[in-house]
Amino acid sequence: MVSVRLENITKRFGKVIAVNNVSLKIEHGEFFTFLGPSGCGKTTTLRVIAGLEMADDGRIFFDNVDVTEYPPYKRNTGMVFQNYALWPHMTVFDNIAYGLKLKKLPKEEIRRKVKEVIDFIKLSGMEDRYPTQLSGGQQQRVALARALVVEPKVLLLDEPLSNLDAKLRVEMREEIQRIQKRLGITAIYVTHDQEEAMVISDRIAILNQGKVMQVGTPEELYKRPRNLFVATFLGRYTMLEGIVEGMSSEGYVKVRGKDVELLGTVTSRDISLKEGSKVVTIIRPHAFKYHPPKHVHTTLEGVIEWVSYLGPYYEARLKIGKISFLMTVDPSIEVHVGDRMSVYVEPEDILVFPEEAMKEESYMAELRGA
Amino acid sequence: MNAFLGWRRLKRELDSLTTTQLVIVVVILTFFLLLPILSILYKGFITNTGQLTLSYAQQTFSDPEMIKIPPNTQFIKAVQIFKFKILPNGSRTLVPVNTISIGAEGPDFGYILNSIFVSTSVMVFASIIGVIAAFIMARYTFPGKNVFRVLLFIPLLATPFVNAYVIGKVLGPDGLMNFILLNYLHLPYKIVVTGLPAVILIQTLSFFPIVYMNVLSSIINIDPSLEEQAENLGAHGFKLFRTVTFPLSLPGLAAGAILVFVFSMEDLGAPIGLAGAFGNGLHTKLMSFYVFNQFKQAYSLDMVNPEAYIVAIIMLTIAAIGFIAIKKYVSLRQYAMLSKGGRWSPRVRRPGWLGLTAVYIFMTLLIIVASFPQIGVVILSISDWATSGPFPTKLVSDYMLALVEKPDVVLAIKNSATYASLAIAITVLLGTSAAYIVARRNIPGKETIDVLATIPIVIPGIIVAVGYLIFFGTLFPNTLFDPFINPGTLLIFTYTVRRSPFLTRSVFAGLQQTHVSLEEAAMNLGASRVKTFFSITIPLVAANVIGGSILSFVYMMNEVSTSLILGSHNPIQGPITFLMSQVIYGSGQVSAVSIAAALGVLLMSLQIVAIAISNYILKQRVAFLGV
Repeated sequence: MVSVRLENITKRFGKVIAVNNVSLKIEHGEFFTFLGPSGCGKTTTLRVIAGLEMADDGRIFFDNVDVTEYPPYKRNTGMVFQNYALWPHMTVFDNIAYGLKLKKLPKEEIRRKVKEVIDFIKLSGMEDRYPTQLSGGQQQRVALARALVVEPKVLLLDEPLSNLDAKLRVEMREEIQRIQKRLGITAIYVTHDQEEAMVISDRIAILNQGKVMQVGTPEELYKRPRNLFVATFLGRYTMLEGIVEGMSSEGYVKVRGKDVELLGTVTSRDISLKEGSKVVTIIRPHAFKYHPPKHVHTTLEGVIEWVSYLGPYYEARLKIGKISFLMTVDPSIEVHVGDRMSVYVEPEDILVFPEEAMKEESYMAELRGA
Repeated sequence: MNAFLGWRRLKRELDSLTTTQLVIVVVILTFFLLLPILSILYKGFITNTGQLTLSYAQQTFSDPEMIKIPPNTQFIKAVQIFKFKILPNGSRTLVPVNTISIGAEGPDFGYILNSIFVSTSVMVFASIIGVIAAFIMARYTFPGKNVFRVLLFIPLLATPFVNAYVIGKVLGPDGLMNFILLNYLHLPYKIVVTGLPAVILIQTLSFFPIVYMNVLSSIINIDPSLEEQAENLGAHGFKLFRTVTFPLSLPGLAAGAILVFVFSMEDLGAPIGLAGAFGNGLHTKLMSFYVFNQFKQAYSLDMVNPEAYIVAIIMLTIAAIGFIAIKKYVSLRQYAMLSKGGRWSPRVRRPGWLGLTAVYIFMTLLIIVASFPQIGVVILSISDWATSGPFPTKLVSDYMLALVEKPDVVLAIKNSATYASLAIAITVLLGTSAAYIVARRNIPGKETIDVLATIPIVIPGIIVAVGYLIFFGTLFPNTLFDPFINPGTLLIFTYTVRRSPFLTRSVFAGLQQTHVSLEEAAMNLGASRVKTFFSITIPLVAANVIGGSILSFVYMMNEVSTSLILGSHNPIQGPITFLMSQVIYGSGQVSAVSIAAALGVLLMSLQIVAIAISNYILKQRVAFLGV
């Protein structure tokens, strides 16, 4: 069990900068996730940690040992690949035993350890099967067992669940988390699925264009995104443009939109706003309340233009002028298309970002498209 | 990227495995391909005193034998051939026989243009036949289709020299064709086909399968939804073929056609085989034969006309251009397979009765005509056909028995088997190394390795052999590598270099289909690169290694041009094909051709076994001659 430290890691493929000056520290026993859109550099970062790619710049430390120049086979990491990478010419037993045989352990010990891990992942009786004779979920378990049996310092998981169907994915992610906590091993996980990342991780690094946008616990990232990318990448939202009118006495930002006035919060000290600055605000669907809170808040009044039943709750759009707010509605409240309705939002739930961030965002989106 | 970073990365890439593989590949390709070929350029443009010169080139291009001005284009001529006739009283007299001679006196454009004329014609005819056959087999279903599919393998079987001899015998004045024309159709004259038209006919018959195989694999790989979309928009029948199917199969056709051109240009089998049937004539007035003739007689390089180097350089240039064109088209080939997903049901349909009749007539004629040489070779090997006139009269077992009894025949078989076995060992080393470096490693210059490892497919063997004579003859006299004393050693290496592309491509394809994460997983668990290579990589591509080895082995046994030129300098070390050419072209004994036929049957059997193994046992659909 170790901590992993990245210092100014940069990796280029030709002219494309896949990983751009990334520095962060992953603690002992932590479940850490790299999350981001495809092409953001998350897999490359993981492969750099595994030694499968060599960084062009920067250093990697396992605890205080500089492993930057170590080849993959000397790093003692256990990696689970997206396609599992089970060797089709070996049985389940041989696949799992491979790493132990390389360590030249006595035969009996290998047999014992493999049996232990096979019991642990609940695949007893499958030892002599070949990978092609297993289901996707079973293959996934074998890949995990093969990585765990060598008692690696770090467990590396590269989108391990992306090839499984939705139900199995939920089961497996809980199982992976359980195993990780039980072994107390440091785990680094890569995914593009935000729900998966939120559920499984102690901390998450959100990556975009090879850069770290923010590192934090799932809650921090969701509630206090430090920039517009993180705010819009995680979860759903209504986005609204406006102009800063001033600051309230409580320290909230007064924003004047086209048809509404809002009271919002700035999430990062890096953001400085003046009166008259153009800003964008982000409001999550569940931020809308039906009774006015006691302290300061924003009141929005409009007409319900669309309602959809989603089981545990409704989704509705509230139209005010030209803006349509997406909100979740508790099933206990009856809403119908055409109803007039007033809703209330607390200032902590309205996130304010400078408008330049959006230009940068659309610029980035263009880059991504190109 | 700074220099330090480049060096750091290179140092990491060059672990012990990669370094060893790189050394193997570079040493073999440099010494047994690159330097010998460069030495031809040296000989062509540098005088004996070391001066740069264009005079050999000028001399060649102004030689009327090389480029004939004006050319003789008269290719049909009515002549009278005088033949002995036995009169009723037992005495013999000469009687004139009216004969239409095709190709005996023309066309003749000189060595260089003759070769280009022949290769172009063969390319065109082979393409037409190949495309029609491929389209029928890919898109129609009809009773007996599987029989035709198997029978279409027959023309693929190479029987160097003897196939040409069979055709020559059929087309000759007393051949089967004239027997039919005179006795059944009662034509007042004989027809004799020889010279360049005969070469074109023989090469078309032996090379159209290359186009057929390449186009077939192209059509089969077209995503059916592309055609279904066109049909959905209203295209059908010939319109559909012309606007969608054919354009999408063009890369296969281009690759096949270019290969046919190059193979035709370097072919020695047809000119030598026809010379066995007709004696020297215009069918030997080709670049390949010219170079062969110059070097097989030469006991030292001083005896060689410098024009031969220039002719060799011309052939090399054409082959290199062809290779570049194929590379371009093979990368284009992927576009037909771009779209993924959906159902892959083969688009075959039943033709109407008119179409069905046309399909049967075309396929039957094609198979009868195209497999006639192979059938003829078998007949020659077990009967007295070589000496009996239009038809064989009795079975003879001597020729097949010669394979195990006649000392020089047994020796030639032993030589071939020895060279090919040793060459396969080196080929496995060379081919897996080259394929692994190209597919998996990231080192500067690997594109060059890729080109050098695959280009021998198009480089005429004659060029390689000539290069060996110059390079090893000059620099390694009286050693194991002296081509004038020990051609056997060099044959092992020329077989390796010339036939390794089959194995290299096969292994490369295997590596491409094997996800690299399988190897990364092993390294992640602590396996070094060497350990990973032997415990993971090699087992995963074992079928490709074996398949490629079998294919390479068979093509080594069949190898003609270097076997002939190098073999001629020490006949005791000559391989099978050298002996075949000797008994057909060199030996005065007429029935000796039947021994060559028996050797041809042996080679065909080997090929059948190889095809069967790769198709049925390894489940590999090797694009047989494709790149």
